[in-house]
Amino acid sequence: MKIDKTVTKETVYIAGCVFSMSIIMQFVFIIIGEWNYTVLLGNLLSFVAAVGNFFLMGLTVQSAVNKEKKQMESTVKISQTLRLILIFIVTAVGVTAPYFNVCSVLIPLFFTRIAIFIRPFYDKITSRGSDK
Amino acid sequence: MLELAIGIILGCCALGAGAAMIAGIGPGIGEGNAVAKACEAIGRQPESKGDVTTTMLMGCAIAETTGLYALVIAILLIFLAPGRFVNILLEAIK
Repeated sequence: MKIDKTVTKETVYIAGCVFSMSIIMQFVFIIIGEWNYTVLLGNLLSFVAAVGNFFLMGLTVQSAVNKEKKQMESTVKISQTLRLILIFIVTAVGVTAPYFNVCSVLIPLFFTRIAIFIRPFYDKITSRGSDK
Repeated sequence: MLELAIGIILGCCALGAGAAMIAGIGPGIGEGNAVAKACEAIGRQPESKGDVTTTMLMGCAIAETTGLYALVIAILLIFLAPGRFVNILLEAIK
């Protein structure tokens, strides 16, 4: 299956935002004196889960667009359930295994939401840049 | 008696996690509707496919966060809360 340009572009944007926020989170852990290798490993695991989840959602949406209405709705619902199970497994591993910090596993999952929230501001800045 | 108390704690945590995951149903339905409407829009105006797909992806991601909140609560209740509560109980008994 050929990956749509929009899906790639949005995934790259989300990955960039999650990466930047992860770096900020690492600094916060260093500042409060709680940093160790488990924070980094937990953040890596969560980064992969968050970006992978968004990418898989993009692929689902891309394939659903070409289907009939009923089939499309069920495809999206099944995909959502499977992705939720996948994230559950990943986070369960992150929470139970001693190699990962619990906070650094759970917090980056919400970075996607923040990335979408700041999207209009990012668009404004990039459109201003392209106007000049 | 102590076993009963621990059993109640574990049971309540599991029930709470199950109740939290009810919120996981909503995003699935919401995303399905969003994609269906987006496809109607693309059908009406095929030239706006890129814009509609971008907006739909963002909308789906926002809808999904609700499910993620519930998932995080469920994970905390299943894996972390029982241990903490049992420790509190044991300390209270001592």
